[in-house]
Amino acid sequence: MRLALAIASFVILIVHGAVFYDQFFNKWERHQTAYFDQARSMAKTDAERAGLEGRSPRIEQLIVTSFGESRVDRCTTCHIGIDDPRFNQHAQPLRSHPYTEDMGDRLVNGKWERRHKFADFGCTVCHDGQGRGLETVFAHGEDHYWPDPMLGYVTQNWRADFKPKLKGKEYMQANCALCHTDENFKRTPLVAKGRQLFFSTNCYGCHKIEGLSTGALGPDLSEVGKKFKVDYLWESVVEPRANIATSFMPKFNLSDDDVRALVVFLKSRRGVNFSETSLDRYRATLNKENKGKGEAPAVAVPAVAGGQPVTSPAAPPAAIATASLGEKLINDRSCAACHKIGARDGGVAPDLSFEGLIKGDKWLMEHFRDPRSLVSDSIMPSFGFSNPDYLAMTGYLMSLKTPPAFNNPEEFYKNTCARCHGDKGDGHGMIAAYLDPYPRDLTKAGFMNSKTEDRLMKSIREGVAGTSMPAWGRVINDDQIRQVFNYIQTTYVKDPRRPLKERKLPETNPVASSRESIARGEQTFLQRCTGCHGKKADGKGPNSIDILPRPRNLRNAEFLNSISDRRLFESILYGVQGSAMQSWIDYGLTEKDVGDLINYMRSFNKPKQ
Amino acid sequence: MSMAKKNIANNPERTEGQITRRNLLVWLSSVGLFGSAVISIFSNLVFIKPRATYGQPNRFSIGKPDEFPSGTKLALDQQRVCVVRDGDKLCAISTTCTHLGCIVAPSDTGFACPCHGSRFDQDGNVTGGPAPKPLPWYKLTMAPNGELEIDKSTEVPAGTYFNV
Repeated sequence: MRLALAIASFVILIVHGAVFYDQFFNKWERHQTAYFDQARSMAKTDAERAGLEGRSPRIEQLIVTSFGESRVDRCTTCHIGIDDPRFNQHAQPLRSHPYTEDMGDRLVNGKWERRHKFADFGCTVCHDGQGRGLETVFAHGEDHYWPDPMLGYVTQNWRADFKPKLKGKEYMQANCALCHTDENFKRTPLVAKGRQLFFSTNCYGCHKIEGLSTGALGPDLSEVGKKFKVDYLWESVVEPRANIATSFMPKFNLSDDDVRALVVFLKSRRGVNFSETSLDRYRATLNKENKGKGEAPAVAVPAVAGGQPVTSPAAPPAAIATASLGEKLINDRSCAACHKIGARDGGVAPDLSFEGLIKGDKWLMEHFRDPRSLVSDSIMPSFGFSNPDYLAMTGYLMSLKTPPAFNNPEEFYKNTCARCHGDKGDGHGMIAAYLDPYPRDLTKAGFMNSKTEDRLMKSIREGVAGTSMPAWGRVINDDQIRQVFNYIQTTYVKDPRRPLKERKLPETNPVASSRESIARGEQTFLQRCTGCHGKKADGKGPNSIDILPRPRNLRNAEFLNSISDRRLFESILYGVQGSAMQSWIDYGLTEKDVGDLINYMRSFNKPKQ
Repeated sequence: MSMAKKNIANNPERTEGQITRRNLLVWLSSVGLFGSAVISIFSNLVFIKPRATYGQPNRFSIGKPDEFPSGTKLALDQQRVCVVRDGDKLCAISTTCTHLGCIVAPSDTGFACPCHGSRFDQDGNVTGGPAPKPLPWYKLTMAPNGELEIDKSTEVPAGTYFNV
């Protein structure tokens, strides 16, 4: 018993001693003692000696109030020789901070003068890290939970494959740019390059950065540098789905140098800018708005392409120049990050390899300017390039007129249709998730066999307006369309077609459109249709999420205007087999009610002038 | 085991003053406990004084001597110190009134306190008013980077100048 007590008391003594040593004999004291000793031996004049007199180790700190919230930087506790030029070759932590002209330091009478004095700026405003930390692991931000590890110096437990790429003093440019916001500030080339890449690779089409871009498809990046460390940014640029599993951001396959520039640029987006007041920021946004609504910096356009209308029979050399410039634009602007063009395929958006066949130049121009004016639920951003750029891109796309090979319908289906409708014909193709309306499920015999062959063939031949279904009649001939249709019928629909019951339907709406009729139609719509089609008739009613195929967006003007009254009568009165649309004649809607409904729907889908 | 120990302890053959196993253990235990008690008392006492506070640092740099031409009498309100240069001689005089701690302002004849009318001469000696002590002078040195440094934690006797 006594032995145990003796051992225990000694253990307590040792633990106490260890804690005492740990708390009162700090590493930084040894660094400071070493500094004082060496400085004393270096001192040549009385003044230098006097300056060191009575100095003893203690916590040195800089309190900086000029940059955002006040900072307490104790870095000089260990790095005590930071402003002592005699220590410029010394081992860390006593080495003095280098002088460089890049930071604005000046050589005056053989002596360097700092532009950024440590007493005014502190350390963490440029380097990041934890200013209050007194141990290396904390001060440098090596701790996983510290949000700002020393930029370009400390990597925490980051992914091994790009961890080495995240080191280097060039990353600190991101912090320079917090104050030096000029667009082409000479000392921060990476930020400028990243900013330029943000536009040239079309990031701005989807992402918003306050004062720079207005894209709304992806997350707002105005404060992305404040929220995330560089490893997260790198990972998100290189592998968009690594952090957000549902992200549909394309892989851009940029070079490491480009990714680095983008990461530095993004890291510099901290939402705060120490050099400007909120009034400055407000003025800047006003100026931006006046300058032009988020217009991208125009790519240099040779005079020959400027204003050359593509529709007119242009002189061949000019047309070729336009097309080659368009090709350059489409390659440089990463269109293939989403679209398929030839061998490159982003896997998000439709195939453009033979766009010249299926679309006209007018359609392309209009679609470039505002994709949603033609495909109302398209996710393609309006990039806001300059008009000559659009003309050049249209010229290039219109030159793509090589139709895909047609050897047999099966191969043709796999090469073209399957991109949206899927290899199994179930509508879950590679890019289906990004299309709205969703591609038709061709295996649903209930739907397929309830429509006439003519109508289905027409959808293939002429496409479906307001959706991503193109007019295949411009690519293959009627006989080939028939072959594809038969292939779909036998492979995916499987059920043999039966003769359809003849239904008596009016060819045109017998109810004349009038204010009263529209009002009655609206009334009926609000009572009967909003559950699925939504109050705004945009197909997003409360029930819509449970239904596949999704309820039709009735504000899709291109689509609504392309279909006949007869078809609307058929779909409403007798329902759509294979979908949730029921036969409303069974629920008491008369032909007159439906006529009112159609007048109501037509009233907010006016054809374009 | 405890039985065996008792037997040894009660052994009458052992004489007093001899180091028994029991005594040794008791001695060792008490050294251990007493030692750790001393250490903990000492460390608690040390902990009472904060190692760092968040006020203005006591030693700070004020810039190169060229920035203070001869005849300068510049009061730095935030640091509460007045830098005076006369020819090649520089000194730093506190601007905290020794009466109740107001900030004294430089005047033609020296310093004057706005609160209760204390007056000081050019060297900080009291010439009038309720101030009990002269204004202290602080140590002024040259840092290795060529800038002047004031150390407010070290007072020097009045009349101690730093020669540029």
